[in-house]
Amino acid sequence: MNPFYFGTAERRLFGLYEPAFKGTGKRGAVLCNPWGSEYLFAHRTMRQLAIKLSTAGFHTLRFDFFGTGDSSGDMIDADLDGWETDVGLAIDEIKDIVGATRVTLIGLRLGATIAARAARRRSKEVDALVLWDPVISGEEYLQQLGVAFKDLQHALSADTGKHLEILGFPLTEKFISDLQALNMDGLISAGTQRILVMLTERLPSHQLFESALAGRGAVSTTVEFMTAAHPWIENSANAGIVPVGPIQRIINWLE
Amino acid sequence: MIPRISEQAILLGKQLSLVGILTRAVTPAPTDGPVIVILNTGIIHRVGHHRMFVTMSRSLAQAGYTVLRFDFSGIGDSDPRADDLPPLESCLADLKEVLDWLEKEKLASKIILVGLCSGADHAVLYGHTDPRIAGLVLMDPSIPATARYYLHYLASRLMQLRNWISVLAGRSLIVKMWIEHLVHSVLPGQKSKEITLQNLRFHNYLEQCYQNSVARGIKMLAIFTADSTRQTYQTQMIDAFPSVSFGDQLALEFFSGSDHTFSHEADRSRLIQLVQGWIESINHRDLSRAIANPSPCPDLKFETSIPGESAR
Repeated sequence: MNPFYFGTAERRLFGLYEPAFKGTGKRGAVLCNPWGSEYLFAHRTMRQLAIKLSTAGFHTLRFDFFGTGDSSGDMIDADLDGWETDVGLAIDEIKDIVGATRVTLIGLRLGATIAARAARRRSKEVDALVLWDPVISGEEYLQQLGVAFKDLQHALSADTGKHLEILGFPLTEKFISDLQALNMDGLISAGTQRILVMLTERLPSHQLFESALAGRGAVSTTVEFMTAAHPWIENSANAGIVPVGPIQRIINWLE
Repeated sequence: MIPRISEQAILLGKQLSLVGILTRAVTPAPTDGPVIVILNTGIIHRVGHHRMFVTMSRSLAQAGYTVLRFDFSGIGDSDPRADDLPPLESCLADLKEVLDWLEKEKLASKIILVGLCSGADHAVLYGHTDPRIAGLVLMDPSIPATARYYLHYLASRLMQLRNWISVLAGRSLIVKMWIEHLVHSVLPGQKSKEITLQNLRFHNYLEQCYQNSVARGIKMLAIFTADSTRQTYQTQMIDAFPSVSFGDQLALEFFSGSDHTFSHEADRSRLIQLVQGWIESINHRDLSRAIANPSPCPDLKFETSIPGESAR
């Protein structure tokens, strides 16, 4: 395990590199975290996923998006385009470390959404994409976080000069606008060779996404549903929980 | 133009298995200031709830203080220890190794520990045993309930039907606490010799820790939130430890509108300003007095427990 900073002077990103434990291959994987409280609660799961990938022979880099975790920037800098750039920086970094030409991208929740967007932009460098309960609809996502969209619109129209807060994290006008603009076309990569969409909850947006993926036919996509705990949600009953099933499924699918 | 913050990712401890972030002072404090070490809250990794410890580290660095935040063994990004120490002992051993590293790197001779909830408890349990500790910033540390606490708590809940239902169903936290408190007070034989974070507030050892800290000249800032399962008024800490003469070594603050993890940005901003102001207000000769007045490390007996189990 090697913690370090990478990226540019403007976007210094905190990353943790886990070298491959077995094999001499040059397979690299980049892990993309969820956002906000989901990032905090899922941290343990993302670490375990990285360790399992490393054991399976992947050189793994997990990192914090700009303005999150230990990376530079403030929380009010939340910006999906910028985070997509960060995934690109992480791809460059792991390729440089490993000497690989192609990498695997794995994302959880909003991290999966960003990973999908980045894979679309860098499709020739991404050989596999894993989307674990991706956020497809911004409105649905905010509702899951406990914010009714109409309340948001009302608060924004009030123009108090202050941003909103959600579960202790700032929700800026820019970020809300980014979430509103999410659409399925922006998430489907025609060039990426293999895609695993792993779902552990059934949401209307997921059904639409599944249909859209099936309609494309140009990519090799697997959509699976699995009953498992949600590591991005924490309450007294599941504090620190790491769902083994989805992690193992990701490893098996990649292998 | 605001100077750029310099942060360095490091591996610490004897096994180099503890992951930490060192935020260097942007402009060094005028005198030989302390280094600030921030501890985990429960199982949340070093960034803290709502990223509060990152914001705090950077604010303190701007004010001239070097800050280290790190993960205890088995928490966040740090690997478990190889020596199989029980969790509480493991945390305290980690902390000593981290301070050894700071000293070896000549980064600090004086340390201020900062912790929330279990982090505050770790700071209290460790602080008085290490002569390098000059100050403690304790956010919602474990403190015993007092008669006034029970009065406040009950008064606020008697009018709610669901609380009566909880009492009748045996689910009431306050009743469980009260019974445990009663057992420990009336039946000394029931007192556990082992110390865990779970039984800390029922244990006389906590009082000894504060007494030793006062004797050593350690400065303390204790900040309490309106988390009514823990405390209900600003001076509860003083009432809870009547034999400790805190004097001017203890500053108390009460965030009546805040929850336990300072969820609102306004509360976090106030908290960070408060901590920074308190550190700046400390007379550095007083800090040196704490360093020059070491007390022997007490013989502790811990039992296996999950660190921070009580934290959310």
